[in-house]
Amino acid sequence: MSDTKLALNRREFFSYVTVGWVMFSAACAGLGAMAFRFSYPNVNFDPEMEFLAGLPGDFPSGVDERFKATFGVWMVKQEGKLIALSNICTHLGCIPNWLPAELKFKCPCHGSGYYMSGINFEGPTPRPLERFKIGLQPDGKIKVDKTKVYRWEKGEWENPDSFLNV
Amino acid sequence: MLKELINHLAEPIVSFPIATFLFYLMIKHYKTFGSKKFATWFTILSIPVLIFFFADPNFYLIIKTPDNVPIGILLVLVAFFTWFTMHKAAINDTRMEQGLEPVEAMPENREKVWSWPNLVYTELFAIIACTAFLVVWAIVFKAPLEESANPTWAPNPAKAPWYFLGLQEMLVYFDPWMAGVVLPVLIVAGLIAIPYIDTNPKGNGYYCFKDRKWAIISFMYGWLILWVYLIIVGVFLRGPNWTFYGPFEYWDFHKIVAEFNINLSEFIWIKGLGIGMPKNLVVREIFGIILTIAYVGFIPVWVARATSFGRKFYIDLGPIRYYLFMTLVVVMMSLPIKMVLRWLFSMKYIIALPEWELNL
Amino acid sequence: MAGNGLAKKVRDTQVWKSIFRHGPPDNARNRAAVIAGNVFLHLHPIKLKKSGVQLGYTWCMGGLTFFIFLALTVTGLLLMFYYRPTAEYAFNDIIALREHVPLGIMREIHRWGAHAMVITVWIHMFRVFMTGSYKPPREFNWGIGVILLVLTLLLSFTGYLLPWDQLAIWAITVGSGMAKATPFMGNAGPGAMLARIGDFVMVSDKNDVRFQLLGGRFVGEPALLRFYILHCVFIPLVVGVLIAVHFWRVRKDGGISAPL
Repeated sequence: MSDTKLALNRREFFSYVTVGWVMFSAACAGLGAMAFRFSYPNVNFDPEMEFLAGLPGDFPSGVDERFKATFGVWMVKQEGKLIALSNICTHLGCIPNWLPAELKFKCPCHGSGYYMSGINFEGPTPRPLERFKIGLQPDGKIKVDKTKVYRWEKGEWENPDSFLNV
Repeated sequence: MLKELINHLAEPIVSFPIATFLFYLMIKHYKTFGSKKFATWFTILSIPVLIFFFADPNFYLIIKTPDNVPIGILLVLVAFFTWFTMHKAAINDTRMEQGLEPVEAMPENREKVWSWPNLVYTELFAIIACTAFLVVWAIVFKAPLEESANPTWAPNPAKAPWYFLGLQEMLVYFDPWMAGVVLPVLIVAGLIAIPYIDTNPKGNGYYCFKDRKWAIISFMYGWLILWVYLIIVGVFLRGPNWTFYGPFEYWDFHKIVAEFNINLSEFIWIKGLGIGMPKNLVVREIFGIILTIAYVGFIPVWVARATSFGRKFYIDLGPIRYYLFMTLVVVMMSLPIKMVLRWLFSMKYIIALPEWELNL
Repeated sequence: MAGNGLAKKVRDTQVWKSIFRHGPPDNARNRAAVIAGNVFLHLHPIKLKKSGVQLGYTWCMGGLTFFIFLALTVTGLLLMFYYRPTAEYAFNDIIALREHVPLGIMREIHRWGAHAMVITVWIHMFRVFMTGSYKPPREFNWGIGVILLVLTLLLSFTGYLLPWDQLAIWAITVGSGMAKATPFMGNAGPGAMLARIGDFVMVSDKNDVRFQLLGGRFVGEPALLRFYILHCVFIPLVVGVLIAVHFWRVRKDGGISAPL
């Protein structure tokens, strides 16, 4: 040993090993992150997020279920306000039913109940239904934009975009 | 009359304490429970009871649903094997009290035998029996198939697969993030941690009860009461709108249950102090936050300091094992505690912070 | 006897001898050879304690779980010949499996077998606990077993969606709705609210764990495909590897537990 000259001394050897391991771990982490990112597609073929809901005069007072099956929205007219209410239960994502006799939305999965306004009053759900952005187009038709969500518990139902005065 | 009484007894608020009490009796008198005499009488007496149950059209309708058949099989197996372990444990405990070794350690059971044919043929017969059983099951019961998937209309009631119904039942008492995420993760972590917490060297490789009383009691309570019992409730007793229905009750979609649950904060600020809810979120929920921290943080320390068995546990296990064990126990017991609070005080959340999605 | 004569002739052929390197297992040497010389049988030890072969002690539930897993693999493979995991075909293919295919109980065997496997896993775990078999030296193998239990439930859960009927889609909607509530990683979980910069929400329904599971914001066609791949390929592979580890460790940790 003594007559051969070592290319690396002990300390240098361990620092190279450390660098090597750090790089190996980083490469593994990078591959893992890429595989993870791979599971999120860039384009998603979701149903239409915006739709035209006709004229404000089309809606009588109460709950309108015309857009429930196609867009997942209840149009609710109450106290001079028209709102677009999401039909996704805030508990676990089932679809509640509108019970006209009892004037409430009732979720079949776990029994969460909501008033016509969307405020929760029974069952395990932690918060009210969500409202979507609703507004008038220049031609007077109602446009509902589901990409923008307004939540009661955050005080967002005061936002003028979350309802329509009719 | 009798049916109405049973309907009433099956309600979780009644049946949960009954189940817990029966569990206590079983543990307390495990030697009686584990005797052949008990099993014989239990089987004989259960036949007319089962006939009585099956004769009811509403009960029969639920029990014969193809997807509910496995739960029936599970219940029979769980009942049998619970008795069977207690039977074996009772025999071994009696032997050990007399200073003898457990049955499994008797010299004739310690001697070595050939795998061929002893083990291999046992396996072959088990496989044949299992195959025959599955084929018969498959011929008798059709796999359920409802109408094609329709994302705009949810059936009523919409249930998770039966083995997750214990979790779904927890959803009645906890928010999804607790019942669906935190509790399952803790159940799995707690199960994996069992061998590292339980340092008792006795009871390795033979059935017994006395030598590892606390380990068996905590495991069996979690398994029989907090898991199997909740599955029974979720499968047989939850109908439309996730409302409770007794075993003989018709699943009437219009059964109206007046249920108004209130949060601890509303309880204290409005009902107790009568001053209305404070604006600040943390101030509003301060009592719940303090209670939760006290429950999780203070109780394990208090048990270790103030009670004699806690002190013994602490010394036997050491601090890390002790606090790991107590944290798991405290979380496990939060479920029955939350149930009782719901039934007695209509308590919805201890901490209600929907603004942060943090409800407890 | 004539039968014996024929049997002896068959055993003396070159073909038979090339497959079985030892005589019939009626003496100690051959009994050892049959276990040690067969790739499938050598899962077993050559000899084991008598308590370990008594059904009253073992209940045979672990072995049955493995058998049912194999049975599910075979029936599942057969089902795959007739099933296409798309929203357009899935439901009709399931109906066809019942009505247009001979032995129309294949799906029944698969479904009830899946339920049976969940039950046998639970009972196996119960037995292992009650005999204290998780105690040293078997702590690690108990942990592997718990993970196998979780994977069994996940296998069953992912399979639940594939018939693409109302039962399936809503059970999965409810089940995956819980993922939405994962702290910090689900858009409706605690902490997700805090992860936002101004108007920009970092954890939304487009990038949380539920989206990753379903490949979309709700249970739709991408979810069907993902669950199909998880159910048929990914989870069975992981389970297979872990079963190998599980069995290996049973042997290495001293065989099936017995009094010390």
